[in-house]
Amino acid sequence: MQHTKPPRKPLRFLRNSLPFWLILPTVIFLFVVQVYPALYTVWLSLQERQPSGWTFVGLKNFDRLFNMSIFGESAGHTIIFLVSHVILTMVGAFIIAFLLSRKIRFTGFYITVLFIPWIIAQIIVGLVFRLLVAPDYGLLAGLLQNPDLFPPNGLSVLTASRPLPWFGEFPFPPSPAMILLIIASTWRAIPFVTLLLLGAIEMVPGEVLESAMIDGASLWQSIRYIMIPLILPTIIVSILSLTLNAMNGVGLIFSLTDGGPGTSTNILSFTLYTIGWGQLQFGRAAALALIMAVINWILIAGILRNNSSEGETN
Amino acid sequence: MRKISLPSGRSRNNLLTHAILILICLITMVPIATTILISFKSQPDITRYPPVLFPCDTPEKTFDLSACRWSVEGYMRVLAPKPSDESPLGFILTGNLLRVYLPNTLLYATASALCVVILAGMSGYAFSRYRFRGRKALLTAILAITGVPLLTNLLALYQMAVNLRKSPLPFDDRIFLIVVYIGFFLPLSVWIAKGFFDAIPRELEEAAFIDGCSPIGALTRITMPLAMPGMSAIFLLTFVNVWNEFLAGYLLVSKNEYKPAMFGLYDFLGQNLINLQVIAAACILIAMPIVVLFLFTRRTFLKAMVEGAIKG
Repeated sequence: MQHTKPPRKPLRFLRNSLPFWLILPTVIFLFVVQVYPALYTVWLSLQERQPSGWTFVGLKNFDRLFNMSIFGESAGHTIIFLVSHVILTMVGAFIIAFLLSRKIRFTGFYITVLFIPWIIAQIIVGLVFRLLVAPDYGLLAGLLQNPDLFPPNGLSVLTASRPLPWFGEFPFPPSPAMILLIIASTWRAIPFVTLLLLGAIEMVPGEVLESAMIDGASLWQSIRYIMIPLILPTIIVSILSLTLNAMNGVGLIFSLTDGGPGTSTNILSFTLYTIGWGQLQFGRAAALALIMAVINWILIAGILRNNSSEGETN
Repeated sequence: MRKISLPSGRSRNNLLTHAILILICLITMVPIATTILISFKSQPDITRYPPVLFPCDTPEKTFDLSACRWSVEGYMRVLAPKPSDESPLGFILTGNLLRVYLPNTLLYATASALCVVILAGMSGYAFSRYRFRGRKALLTAILAITGVPLLTNLLALYQMAVNLRKSPLPFDDRIFLIVVYIGFFLPLSVWIAKGFFDAIPRELEEAAFIDGCSPIGALTRITMPLAMPGMSAIFLLTFVNVWNEFLAGYLLVSKNEYKPAMFGLYDFLGQNLINLQVIAAACILIAMPIVVLFLFTRRTFLKAMVEGAIKG
């Protein structure tokens, strides 16, 4: 759409330069807080802190990072955490979104109630779940620490160490604390994805599903072969943004497990914090931040591609 | 937009749908309900093994409503009221959470949200109403930045804060933190604002121009009032995001008296590992304003969420 010619001449200069002045402050803010720090991180990842100041060490930081045992371990934790978190959230959110998309009353009420977890801060969600399993005094501790239900000694979620890994170094099966972390983060993330999926499901014309059912397709078949292909772009965007959020969320771990017991809930985002601010190895931490930023950018590119295929960017 | 209806047994299906949804709502509410329950228990009922759900048992019966030992001990310990002659209520609340951390959070959230609304309104308007060179590239760049999380940039921002603190320039932790928050919640807001402005017909403004209105006049008299719902949605979204943010507030602020509520809460955990009722009470007190705000503004809020979620 072309904008109409300004009615009077003196206004033309103002009208022509106005968008520039309107956008300039935003660009300055984004440059100072987003672009410059990103470049700074690249610089930092090539430096090492010496008593005399920062010195250039090339790619040594990356080399040292890869040699830290915590790096490989927490990469494993991250994979377990992300895969189970994404699967659980997608399944749960799809079921809820499907139910909400049916022709029923009170959907507004249900959405309001179901949405509450998403607006509660990560730190608080962590504490809320911690209260349930706190050793001895948590509400579920009586159940979990019962030796009859969880032989031989009962299960103390926040202190039980990781079971022996099945596949070499890969930290599987996860520790009970990791399972709790997955449950807590899924509880918080489901509403967000539900809303995304609900929007997409409501766009699916009802007639398509109805005619499939009349032709003898089962409910499962019509979901699997008709609805899911139709909302696939939204599903992909949901999975990508869910991964993006979960990979970088750290508040939940702080208040729920603090990375423990041992290092069994150290996912990469938490490891970034411990290397940087715990061990004050800022060079190595910057190297890790850079690796994570690259993964983030791949996810963002995926989201952008799927969104623009829907014709969002105009 | 038609809702899906399945042909057979509709009313029975609907009943089933309601039943499942109510069940899901109840399960969702369990962690919140237990936290509220814990926050009203007294210390002896907290440190009991095995724990009980309701502090209502007597030696004879497992549940007796008249014997419930509800207590506000947790809240008292968080708020720490002290008698005072100066206060009209007869007491003042001396707990750090309420006296220091919550006002800080309120300041950060309000200041960041206001600035984000103004900046996003300005650039969203420009992106929606004008076609200029580089517009599409800039929009895509902003959309891409929307996805960048705070975490990976925090290291550099932390070093920036350290360097600025050492430099002779006037530097304030609080202003720096607010600037960081603005920079991080602005991109998403620009997109939401653009969407809201796109929905306002240009013809209204053009009619105002024809009647002799200046662009600024058209903006303030026609477009701004129509854009108010969108702007308030952006304000709410940013406010809640900043209120709930933890790591930046924790790391970028060096002085304890400038730290936000989420830090206070994390700090509380360290001091009260077994005083679960104190932690629960603090959680409720900090989450309450946001939940109430959400319940009162859910329409605006959810609209902004959907709008933003599709983009980011």
